Amino acid sequence: MEKGLRLENISKRYGTMTAVDSLTLTVPSGIVFGLLGPNGAGKTTTLEIIEGLRRPDEGHVWWNDMDVTRNPEHARSHFGMQLQTSAFFELLTVKETLELFHSLYRKRLSVGDLIERLDLTEKQNARVGGLSGGQQQRLALACALINDPEVVFLDEPSAGLDPQARRTLWDVILGLKSEGRTVVLTTHYMEEAEVLADRLAIIDHGHVLDEGTPRELIQRHMPAAVIELSRTVGVDASVDLPAVQRTENRDEMTILVSDHLENTLVGLVNWAQREGRELTGLTTRSATLEDVFLELTGRSLRE
Amino acid sequence: MNAIIVLTKSLLRQTVRNRQGLFWTLFFPLVLMFVFSFLGNSQSQVNLAIVAPSGPSAVVKALKRSPVFHIQRTNRHVALQEVQQGTMDAALFIPPVDPHHTTTLTLRYNNANAITAQQVVGSVEAFVAQADIALSGQPPLFQVSPQAMTHSHSSTYLDFLLPGILALMTMQNSLFGIGSGLTRWKEKGVLRRFQVTPVRPLQFLTATIINYVVVGLVSSGIIIGFATTILHATVLVPWVPLLIVLLLGMGCFLSIGFIVAGLSKSQEATIPIINLISFPMMFLSGVFFSVSSLPHILADIVQYFPLTYVANAMRGLMSGQLTAASAAFRNDIIGLLVWIVVTGAIASRTWRWE
Repeated sequence: MEKGLRLENISKRYGTMTAVDSLTLTVPSGIVFGLLGPNGAGKTTTLEIIEGLRRPDEGHVWWNDMDVTRNPEHARSHFGMQLQTSAFFELLTVKETLELFHSLYRKRLSVGDLIERLDLTEKQNARVGGLSGGQQQRLALACALINDPEVVFLDEPSAGLDPQARRTLWDVILGLKSEGRTVVLTTHYMEEAEVLADRLAIIDHGHVLDEGTPRELIQRHMPAAVIELSRTVGVDASVDLPAVQRTENRDEMTILVSDHLENTLVGLVNWAQREGRELTGLTTRSATLEDVFLELTGRSLRE
Repeated sequence: MNAIIVLTKSLLRQTVRNRQGLFWTLFFPLVLMFVFSFLGNSQSQVNLAIVAPSGPSAVVKALKRSPVFHIQRTNRHVALQEVQQGTMDAALFIPPVDPHHTTTLTLRYNNANAITAQQVVGSVEAFVAQADIALSGQPPLFQVSPQAMTHSHSSTYLDFLLPGILALMTMQNSLFGIGSGLTRWKEKGVLRRFQVTPVRPLQFLTATIINYVVVGLVSSGIIIGFATTILHATVLVPWVPLLIVLLLGMGCFLSIGFIVAGLSKSQEATIPIINLISFPMMFLSGVFFSVSSLPHILADIVQYFPLTYVANAMRGLMSGQLTAASAAFRNDIIGLLVWIVVTGAIASRTWRWE
């Protein structure tokens, strides 16, 4: 039997709304797997079904050879979970909170080690209610790790964190992978997905649009290069430029997706000289996950 | 079992650290009893302003001797002003006495406070009638010998109030504690976090209930201690039956709290519902005054309220009118048990973790 998590034809409906629509997915063990999708795409519901928190209407989830859907409680003893909105008793201290969770499990990591590892030593005697957003996230992560889980689920782990706190969190997550744990996370941040995820699934309307490594996804959907320039330059679809696949406006920028960067650039420079325009804000780059995401869902990730 | 113990410990820790919550749990009951214990004492004396012709007067001398009155001689204008302002309960105008005619003493009182007004008029009339007989030199034809009917002691309003306050506190602690505390945890995701641990829902509920029961019993102990040692309330404290009533009362109000917390999605929605449930009982169920003083139609309904059962049983036990063996006490207990079964059944059906 294949090692890892397997989702087979998972469906979940709420009334007439289909949150997850016969979704099939494999997460090999020992990697960081990212679930990407716009708000309302069904990420959290999918995650909760994998965690055994919700029963799917159809389909099965397997962890190695264990049926998670049938034995959610047994499966959860192998899982560590950080929920999107999880709060703790505000008047307990960080240490007391971890000790409480510690005493609920049989297989467990030491509270002292976790405090140190998640950089909570200074705050261990502080009340939970007075922690900053980043400290609360680290506490939530520490609680998710207390039972020494084989799979760690993180629902939007870096939501609302400043860049500094986000980088600290990334180090912790990469550390989990190096210990042989499997990490499944949902995120809104492309950069986070690119840095952390070995494999990604892009989800919308409750099913997987595509799945693979970040490089594979970019290769498959956006082999081209991207030219960005200020919208005020006035380039639009009516301007005839060589090798341009698509022209679109994103915020203050005009985006040109090109099959052949050199040809398009020459065409653009010639057009500018002819029309007497200045090419303000011109940059070129290879396509990113953000472009893939936009291509697949038609929506920006951060909306 | 271990999970229940560690959860209970954590919850109690959380409760004890919630200084504000503890303060408000005890503040109102203590202040109410303190205030009422004073009112009970000061009501016995009537402040009377006297306007009389200068020179010695038999009536004034007799009034001065009476323990019922606290008197102050002054002029007409000042007397009226003081009554108007409420610094004096009444003003008594004594004209020069003509031994051949009935002398009319005019009593001007402020009827803004009906009870004080009644007390003033009553005491002055009684005093004058007595003085009349005494000054006439004839032996009185009748005499009243007042004898109190309470069992073991003379009862003050504080003695009446204490069991009511205990009943009220039992309701408030349980109803607000569960109703608003649990909704808050539900709303913020605390419950969901425990749902993903091996803790079973029943274990979490048990720990929550133990927490509120401990809080309820300790605060009841503090209130009883304060009332009996500092305010000198003279009540009986039969521990075992009192404990039974307190526990059953908590059981009933915790169940109602669970129903409210189960049905409502946010804390903001819970508070008005709890107020809607607790306010009528607070004022009608015999906490501050006896249910028997209500109109009959209302009293017929109010007697079935859970708080009425608790207040009646507590008051009966503490005044010595009821014992654990009394039929009326058993009726209160049965009433509470019926409430617990009904509300418990509803709570178990309506409860939702999210």
